[in-house]
Amino acid sequence: MPPSDPKPIIIAESVRKTYRSNDGRSHLALGGVSAEIGRGEVLVVFGPSGSGKSTFLRTLNALESIDSGRIVVDGVEISDPGADLNKLRSEVGMVFQLFNLFQHRTALDNVVLPQIVVHRRSKSEAVRRAHDLLGKVGIDDRAGHYPSQLSGGQQQRVAIARALAMDPKVMLFDEPTSALDPETVTGILDLMTELAAEGMTMAVVTHEMGFAREIANRMLFMDSGLIVEEGSPQQIFQMPRQERTKEFLKQIL
Amino acid sequence: MQHYLDVFIAILPFLWTGFVQTFWVSLVAIAAGSVLGFLIGVVRSQRIPFFHRLFGLYIHILRGTPFLVQLYVFYFVLPNTGIEALQWSSEMAAFVSLSVYTSSYVAEIIMAAIDAVPKGQWEAATALGFKRLSILALVVLPQALKLAVPPMSGVYVNIIKNTAILSVIGISELTRQGEISIMRFPRDVLFIYGVIALVYFVYCYPVLRFTRWAERKVGGTRVVNLD
Repeated sequence: MPPSDPKPIIIAESVRKTYRSNDGRSHLALGGVSAEIGRGEVLVVFGPSGSGKSTFLRTLNALESIDSGRIVVDGVEISDPGADLNKLRSEVGMVFQLFNLFQHRTALDNVVLPQIVVHRRSKSEAVRRAHDLLGKVGIDDRAGHYPSQLSGGQQQRVAIARALAMDPKVMLFDEPTSALDPETVTGILDLMTELAAEGMTMAVVTHEMGFAREIANRMLFMDSGLIVEEGSPQQIFQMPRQERTKEFLKQIL
Repeated sequence: MQHYLDVFIAILPFLWTGFVQTFWVSLVAIAAGSVLGFLIGVVRSQRIPFFHRLFGLYIHILRGTPFLVQLYVFYFVLPNTGIEALQWSSEMAAFVSLSVYTSSYVAEIIMAAIDAVPKGQWEAATALGFKRLSILALVVLPQALKLAVPPMSGVYVNIIKNTAILSVIGISELTRQGEISIMRFPRDVLFIYGVIALVYFVYCYPVLRFTRWAERKVGGTRVVNLD
């Protein structure tokens, strides 16, 4: 689908990030990554573990600080010390590999609480919206359950509803199906496909190549903290230009 | 048998006075020490270098020295500094020293409990746009307090038992009242100490039971329908 607004919602320029451990060793996680995400676009980021793909995703809502470079989200430069990071984050939804639902709150409360705390919605409005969204992700019948009483797939649905409740302009998915049983993976991927079809802008780190082929507008292949190759799914799968991309795809397909 | 009953009835008023004193001093120490320890633990969990080190020093000094020595410092040394506010009675010295001692243990438990809440909880709340204080108050602390309940019960029981040490500065708590009773019935030392030990047990056991109950209450998974 062609982006309606030509200006990308997220721009990353030469983003560098080094992890330093206590024993003085350092590990280059991102060695100068530049990428853009257009409005309405679905970007899939893939690559071997340790390639920096999750780190990259987490810099986009400033969950990870960066050493140098520039990240602009919807016109706001987030590496600027004066940036209102809380406001920015409320506009960028994030879904985690391990769901990270608030363990002491029910499914419904998980979706209600952020609306009240961050968006200052009234309790009744937040509850109504939460039921709508839990219904949308197909889990409203479990609204009163605690996360520990839900399966992984159900928890991830609640987590997606929670992120959507903030009315995000873009959603980041950090390996959303990697911790799920194989039979529940499809359900979550279908839900994400549905979101994409509704026009949600998405950046997805995933190993699900069939899914990527189906919904991605563009794909990034990362290795050793760098973007090795970028292109449409057709190009990436059928005529990968880089040797490293070919090698990786051969291993996982 | 009649003899023991007579002794028991004779010392009963002393034991009662002693128990009341023990009860109050331990209650104040637990309440004040918990509040102080909670605040210190929360501040320390935030890893702000200056405060983390400062309170770390506070905790390690208190945990690394015997309570008896601390009590002497609060009772003998501090009032001698000439500072008006520190010219306190033996009772005040007991309250303050025991509360401060309690706070050092509570602070460590609270910090450990906060650290034990999975990092993902912080990340999820941060990603949703929560401010740091909201995350602490609404997401992390409710879960941390649950984790803090079991180790806290052990500390509380220890505080109750440590009130016995207060007898050395003349606080007329249970052990001190027992010693007074023994002066009156020197041949019944074993019996009187036995009764005193029993009173401590009767006080401490429900505390352990209560925390077990509270743990179940806050830790259990309940299904609550909000509709």
